[in-house]
Amino acid sequence: MTEPLKLALVGHTNVGKTSLLRTLTRDVEFGEVSPRASTTRHVEGARLSVEGQALLELYDTPGLEDAIALFDYLERLDRPGERLDGPARLARFLEGSEARQRYEQEAKVLRQLMASDAGLYVIDVREPVLAKYRDELAVLTMCGRPLLPVLNFVASSQHREGEWREALARLGLHALVAFDSVAPPEDGERRLYESLALLLERSRPQLQRLIEDHEAQRRARRQAGNRLIAELLIDCAACRRSVAAQPVLEQGAISELRTAIRQREQRCVEALLRLYAFRSSDAKAADLPLLDGRWGDDLFNPETLKQLGIKVGGGMAAGAATGVGIDLLVGGLTMGAAAALGAVIGGSAQTLRNYGQRLKGKLKGQRELTVDDAVLRLLALRQQQLLAALDKRGHAAMDAISLGAPQETLWRQGRLPAPLNVARAHPEWSSLNPGARLEEAERAEQVERLRNDLSIQS
Amino acid sequence: MTDASSPTAFQRLWLSETIRLREEHAGPLEDTEANRLARAEHSELVERIQHRALLLARRDGQWQALQHWLQGARLAGLLLTLLALLSGIGLALAALGDGRQPVNVFWALGSLLGLNLLMLVGWLLGLLLTRDHPGALGRLWLWLSEKLARDASAAQLGPALLLMLQRQRLTRWGLGLLVNGLWTLAMLAALSTLLLLLATRRYGFVWETTILGGDTFIALTQAIGALPALFGFSLPDVELIRASGDAAIASEAARQSWAGWLVGVVLIYGLLPRLLLALLCLWRWQSGKGALSLDLDLPGYSLLRQRLQPDSERLGVCDLAPAALHQPQGGAHSQPGSGALLLGLELDDRRPWPPAPLPKGVANAGVIDNREQRRQLLEQLTRFPPERLAIACDPRRSPDRGTLALLGELARSSSATRIWLLPPAPGEVLDSARLADWHQAITNLGLQHGDSAPLSWLETGHD
Repeated sequence: MTEPLKLALVGHTNVGKTSLLRTLTRDVEFGEVSPRASTTRHVEGARLSVEGQALLELYDTPGLEDAIALFDYLERLDRPGERLDGPARLARFLEGSEARQRYEQEAKVLRQLMASDAGLYVIDVREPVLAKYRDELAVLTMCGRPLLPVLNFVASSQHREGEWREALARLGLHALVAFDSVAPPEDGERRLYESLALLLERSRPQLQRLIEDHEAQRRARRQAGNRLIAELLIDCAACRRSVAAQPVLEQGAISELRTAIRQREQRCVEALLRLYAFRSSDAKAADLPLLDGRWGDDLFNPETLKQLGIKVGGGMAAGAATGVGIDLLVGGLTMGAAAALGAVIGGSAQTLRNYGQRLKGKLKGQRELTVDDAVLRLLALRQQQLLAALDKRGHAAMDAISLGAPQETLWRQGRLPAPLNVARAHPEWSSLNPGARLEEAERAEQVERLRNDLSIQS
Repeated sequence: MTDASSPTAFQRLWLSETIRLREEHAGPLEDTEANRLARAEHSELVERIQHRALLLARRDGQWQALQHWLQGARLAGLLLTLLALLSGIGLALAALGDGRQPVNVFWALGSLLGLNLLMLVGWLLGLLLTRDHPGALGRLWLWLSEKLARDASAAQLGPALLLMLQRQRLTRWGLGLLVNGLWTLAMLAALSTLLLLLATRRYGFVWETTILGGDTFIALTQAIGALPALFGFSLPDVELIRASGDAAIASEAARQSWAGWLVGVVLIYGLLPRLLLALLCLWRWQSGKGALSLDLDLPGYSLLRQRLQPDSERLGVCDLAPAALHQPQGGAHSQPGSGALLLGLELDDRRPWPPAPLPKGVANAGVIDNREQRRQLLEQLTRFPPERLAIACDPRRSPDRGTLALLGELARSSSATRIWLLPPAPGEVLDSARLADWHQAITNLGLQHGDSAPLSWLETGHD
C-alpha cells in the first residue's frame, strides 16, 4: 500500500487556493470562498481516492500576505559568521516567537509545505508580477520542496500569462500549468498531474492512476447524463392528455401540459446537477417558449398499429413458447394453462383496452394533446447544452448557469430521433401519464437507443 | 437449499437491482447504517453496493419476499416435474394400450411424438419471432408478478429480475431450459414406461390404411427408422412391414423388430432433440448468468458511488485558525515634518506615474514595490519626515497584511497621511466587495482615504 501523495496549495491571499481545491476535489462546499482577503485562516485537507485507495492528499493553506517583511526577517536570522540553508533557516524561524505572532499565518503555510511532498503555487494571472510575489516564491523555495506554479484565472480577459511565465522562468520555475478553477480546460487535470509527475517521478504511477480514473469517471458521468436526458425525452414524447373539444378546456389542458413538462425538465436539471455534484441552485431552466402543443392523434400512426400488432402477436408467441406448451402436454386446460393464457390475454388486453379507450374518446369528440416536436427538440438541445456546461464547469464556479432558449433555427426544424416516434405510441412509458409502466424492457431499450443517439451527437 | 444468511451471487445482483428500482420510484431510502456497514465490510464498490442492498432488503422485507418467491418457484418446479413425469407415463400407456388390441404403430408414434414435435416447432418459432422483441416473454412475467405481489416492498422484485436478465438476453434461455427440461423428463418417463410395458406385456403391431398404398407405409417406416438404425436399433424389413399390414404377426422376431423400431424412434426424435436443446439452453443460461454484473453506469449507481466509495473526502482542519490575526497599526509622527510627498505603492507598471502633473512643492517619491525601495524610502522618511504624505494604492490588489503594515509604518513617519485609492483605468470596473475591504482596512489603521487625487491637500494642507 503506497502512501498518498501530499500536496500543499500555497500562494498569495485571494488567488483562489480554496477554489482550486474545490475544483480538484469536485466538492462545492469545501472551505469558504469570498472576495475578501484572508478568508481561509486554517489548514484543511481533502483526500482523493481511486477504488477506495487514497492516492492524493491536498491541503488548503492560508494566503501568504507579508512575504517581503518575512523574507527580510529570515535573512536576519543567520548569526554572524554562519550561512544557513533554506530548511534550516525556516526551522529556526518556526521555533522563534515571531512564528506565533506577526508571521503566524505564514508559519502555518511553511509548516504545511515542509510536511508535504510538493506545493502547488497558485497564481492569479490578472495580477501584475509584483516584488512581493517574487519574495513569496523565494520564501517558499526555502522549504526544499518542489513547487508547481498553477496559473489561475487564465480564462479572464485581462490575464498577464506571458509576464508571469517570464518571471517564473527567471526564478527557475519552468514547469507550470494553466488551470482555471472556474472553467478548467478539458485536459487541465491531466496536464496538472502530469506536470506533477515530472517533479515527483516516484509518484508517477499513482498520479497516472488518478488521471485514468478521473477520465473514466468523466466518461461515465457523460453517459449517465445522456441517459437522464433520454429518459426526459421519452417521458415527454409519450406524454398525452385527452381533452374534450372545447376551447376553454383545451387552453386549460395546454397550460397544464406545459407546467408538467416544465417540472419534468427541472427534475432532469436537478438530476444532472446531482450527478455532477453541483448545488441544486447552480442551474435553472428558463421558461419554454409558448407553443400550442401538438393536437391530433396517433391512433392510426403506423407505429401505434405496429406496436398493437407486435404486442398481441408477441404475447401469443410468448404464450406458445412457454406455459401453453407445458400445459397442453399435461392434457387439457389445467389451472396453469388458464393462468398462462390469462397472462397472455392480460398483457395484450391492456394494450387493446388502452387503444379502445382512445378510440372511444375520439368517437366522443375528444382530442388528444401531446408535446410538440419542436419542444422535444428544444428540450434535447437545452439539456445537452447544460450537460456540456456542467462537464466543463469547475466546482469553484459561483454563478448559476441559466438555460435560455437556443437559436430558433436549431430546434424549429429537423427530424426527431426514431425512439421518440416509437415513444409517441406508448402513453404508458411516460411518468407524466397515469398508470405508467417505466420498467418495461422495451422502454429501457428505447432509452438506451436514444442515449446512444445523444452521445453520438455530443 | 439457500441458507437464510448467505444469498448466492445471483440473488445479490437481483436484490441490488430491486433496491435500485425501489429507490428510483420511491426516492432514496434511509441508508446511513447500511452505508457504514457496507463501507466497513468490503473494499470494492460493487461489493459495497450489493452488501448495502442486502442490508436494506433484509430490513425492509425484500429478502424475505425473495425467499418466498424462491420457495414458490421450487414448489412450482416440483409440481411441474411431477406433472411431466406423470404425463410421460400417461403418454406411453395411452400409446400402447392394454395389450388386448394390437398396437397401431403410427397411432402410437403420433401420440408419443406428435404433441412434442408440434410444441418444439412452436418454441423454435417463438425463439426466432421474438428475437427483436425480447420483451414479449417479459411482459407476461411482469403482468404475473404484478398480480402476485402481495405488498409494495416486494413489487419491484419481478421487474428487477427481468431487467437484469434482459441485459444479457437471458429470459429466453431460462424459459427454454425450463420447457425443454420438462419435455426431456416427460420423454424419459415415456421411454421408461414404454420399455417396461414392452418388457412385461405381449404387444402385436399393425398398421392400417384405407386410401394410402402399402408401399407408402413401407417407405415411411424405413425412412423414419433409418436414423435410429444407425444407432443400432432394429429396422423391420420390407416383408415384415408388408405382412404387418394385414394382421399382427405372432412371431417373436417380428414383435421385437417392431418394438426396437418404436423405442429407437421415440429416443432419437423425442428425447434426443429435447435433451440437446435443454443442454444448449443450460449452457447459454450458465454462461450468461456468469456474465451478469451491476451496470455501474446507471444513474442510480453513480449516485451510490459518491456515498459508498467517495472519490474525494474532507480530512478536516489540521491547523486551527488563530483567535485573531496580527493587526497592523497606524499612527502619525509626533514631530512636525516639512514638505509634501506623493508615492505609489505596488502599482501596475502599465499605469503612468505620476498620474497627473504635480504642483510645485510636492515631491514625487516614485512607485514603491520591492524590499530595497521600501527600506530606502523608510530610511529617507525617518531622517526627513514629511508634513503631508499621500500614498496611491490600486484597489484592484487585495489589501494584504504586508501592504497594510507598510502603510502603517509610512504613516508613523509622517505628520499627516492620506491614502488615495486610484480609480479604475478606463474600461475597467472595481470589485465593490474588494473596495469595501480596502475602506475597512484603512479605517482600522486610523487613516483617511479618498478616491480623488489629494493634490491640493498636498500643496496647501486643506481641500
